[in-house]
Amino acid sequence: MTENPNAAGGASLVSTLAPLRKYVLEFVLLGVCLFLAFRAPGFFTRDNLLNVLLNVSMQGVIAFGMTMVIISGEIDLSVGSAVAFSGCITAWLTGFLAAHGLPLFLAIPAAVLVSLAAGFGIGCVTGFLRTRFNVPTFISTLAWMTVLKGASELITNGFPLTPFPQWYSYLGSGYLFGIPFPAIIFLAVFCAIQVLMSFTAFGRSIYAVGGNAEAARISGIKVGQVKILVMGTVAMLTALSGVMQSAQIMSGSATTGQGWELDVISAVIIGGTSLMGGAGTVWGTFIGVVFLGVLLNGMTLMNISEYWQHVVRGALILAAVLINLAPAQKK
Amino acid sequence: MRGHHLQTVNLRKEYPGTVALDGVSVDFEGGMVHALIGKNGAGKSTLVKIFAGSVQPTSGTLLIDGAPVELRSPSDAFAKGIATVYQEMSLVPEMTVAENIFLGRWPRRKGLLRSMVNWRGIADAAQQVLDGMHVSLDLRRNVGELGMAQQQIVEIAKAMSFNPSVIMLDEPTSALARHETENLFALIRQLAAKGVAVIHITHRLQELKQVADTVTVLRDGHCIGSIGIDEATPETIAHMMFGGVTQAVRPADLQAGTEPVMRVRRLGQPGKFHGVNFDLRKGEVLGIAGMLGSGRTELLQAIFGVDPCASGEIVLDGKAIRPTTPAGMKALGLAFTPENRKEHGLVQELSTRANVCLASLDRITTAGFTTKARERAVVRPLMERLAVKVPDIEHAVASLSGGNQQKVVVAKWLNTEPRVILFDEPTRGIDVQAKQQIFQIMWDLSRQGISCVFVSSELEELVEVCHRILIMKHGTITGEVFPESISVEELVVRCMDA
Repeated sequence: MTENPNAAGGASLVSTLAPLRKYVLEFVLLGVCLFLAFRAPGFFTRDNLLNVLLNVSMQGVIAFGMTMVIISGEIDLSVGSAVAFSGCITAWLTGFLAAHGLPLFLAIPAAVLVSLAAGFGIGCVTGFLRTRFNVPTFISTLAWMTVLKGASELITNGFPLTPFPQWYSYLGSGYLFGIPFPAIIFLAVFCAIQVLMSFTAFGRSIYAVGGNAEAARISGIKVGQVKILVMGTVAMLTALSGVMQSAQIMSGSATTGQGWELDVISAVIIGGTSLMGGAGTVWGTFIGVVFLGVLLNGMTLMNISEYWQHVVRGALILAAVLINLAPAQKK
Repeated sequence: MRGHHLQTVNLRKEYPGTVALDGVSVDFEGGMVHALIGKNGAGKSTLVKIFAGSVQPTSGTLLIDGAPVELRSPSDAFAKGIATVYQEMSLVPEMTVAENIFLGRWPRRKGLLRSMVNWRGIADAAQQVLDGMHVSLDLRRNVGELGMAQQQIVEIAKAMSFNPSVIMLDEPTSALARHETENLFALIRQLAAKGVAVIHITHRLQELKQVADTVTVLRDGHCIGSIGIDEATPETIAHMMFGGVTQAVRPADLQAGTEPVMRVRRLGQPGKFHGVNFDLRKGEVLGIAGMLGSGRTELLQAIFGVDPCASGEIVLDGKAIRPTTPAGMKALGLAFTPENRKEHGLVQELSTRANVCLASLDRITTAGFTTKARERAVVRPLMERLAVKVPDIEHAVASLSGGNQQKVVVAKWLNTEPRVILFDEPTRGIDVQAKQQIFQIMWDLSRQGISCVFVSSELEELVEVCHRILIMKHGTITGEVFPESISVEELVVRCMDA
């Protein structure tokens, strides 16, 4: 697949490289890394690379869920607020349980589990509204975005909650075998979602539902069930991310996660997932997430202003979409 | 009142490897409704495309009001007074009736404001068009809020706004329910009364008496003849359409069992079909014959739970149930290949392998898990068994031809090991060889004891393939015939007459 033995000479260079087209992003990432290794002071060090991984892992975890959502033909705009909500719920519940005499080593796991369950539940409600009442997820998650933001403010009363003991920070900034703990979660979620999408009936149903919901339904796939579970999964991963975020900042704060929905959706789109649904890969999202992380890190190391970073990121999204659309338009 | 006139002399159209029209001379007079009929592939659509200017004839002449014309493009045809109303609607649902009638040709204001739309002008002009058609419609309503029948009227008004001398209606009733057609026919007659030559292309032979003055029959690229509606008895029409067709017969070894696998009892859906009863036997290929709009497709969809039915039941294994979802009916051993395979049968951007596994994921997976290798092992033998020509089963199914796509749909369902397969128009739009292969597949299924229900607009296919044929008319089963004792012509007559 990588080389075409029949092609020869400069005229057919384009056709020789055509099969490589789908690895464009990988090559660009490689190129950027090489460039930064020479030009950005301190980029190619173990500590900095782990730092990049740590920086992308919180949003990356959500991006894998978002990939499922976008492939299924839906969207989730509430992830930013949901990150804050999940952190706040965890902090509040920990404080509440501790105040009622439960030791912290029990209160925190309980609070985390409730937070994940709440996330899953909220996602399922979105999926249910989509399935039962045909409410577009674009709208319902926009509503959730506001509701969860408000709920976070209500829970925290405007001030960060800090009931956590020192050991809790391990979830957000600890190291395991020399690797940041969130990065391990990020890699684990990547593997899990990759397997889910490629090797399970559920994953295959998601592609079918996003590609052609009516054909999927006539094939006996329970379209509604698939959509509900997909929305539940992304919301649960968002809650997981929120828990890790709260551990990193050691508090539940209503201001975390702001604007994350755009970063996450950007990474998924840069990774080649079709906004029309039905097509995309988890690997692509992985590359997209790492790419964005490397780029931001590199620009920071090179002292490029934050304003320029925004411009570059926006341009990148456009470029990625154009690259992805080009082959489709030829048909 | 002008009496318009569209004529062709010795029209011929060749495509690489085939002759679509051969020496076609027809004569459509103004002030009358001319029905143009023929089987699929008879050359109707080629003739329509020539009239509409989208295809140029290889040889022959086209005359409008006695003067030879050349139609180089659709806009050329419009300019010369031939308007066409296509089957697919070309309306913008979010725009009003008036805007749609003048879509892209909105009257402008004058002077400095000439880049602005003259809304008053649009309303007046649209009102004029509708008045001319003796139709009352609220011009300010959005087209999306109108029913199909009214949308069809807007579509015709759009064509009429060009003030044509000839108007072609391509299957105008195909999207309409039976009761909606009457208004449309009144409108069509109205147009003819104004001197316009109306060409009405239709598959619904039962409508001819209601709307047409003459009937022109095409067969295999030839014009068989034009007759007045008074002479157009079902027997004559059937003979013109099917006469001289040698009928193929099914293999002699096919046997249907005696015990019923599925009983359909009093199935009904308001406005679609009602009181449908039949038994399907083990290994039987059961045909359902009926004109377009007789409720055949709706019936199959209801049996498979695609559109739940309102009354009646289906008896499987002695248990009576009312189908509600495709998933439920699949679990009971039913399978369904939809009429519209591109949109409902397959997920076009997925690979052939993924599509074949789509309906049987629960069988292929272990504890929800699957691998490419495992799926390939399932898909490959099916591709061979059904003779699907597929360069690479990992390529998107969209790249396959219609016939091969249809076989992929069938493969998808064979994977579920069904006992009954419902085929809705499985041969539509596929070539002769692929058709024969589809028939072979049905016969093979029959030999294995799997029962098939076969719906087709091509009645001669039913006579060739089926053990038994049910006749469906106006939403109910009106009779049962056996291919051994009926000719295609007789079957057409049985399907047509009231």
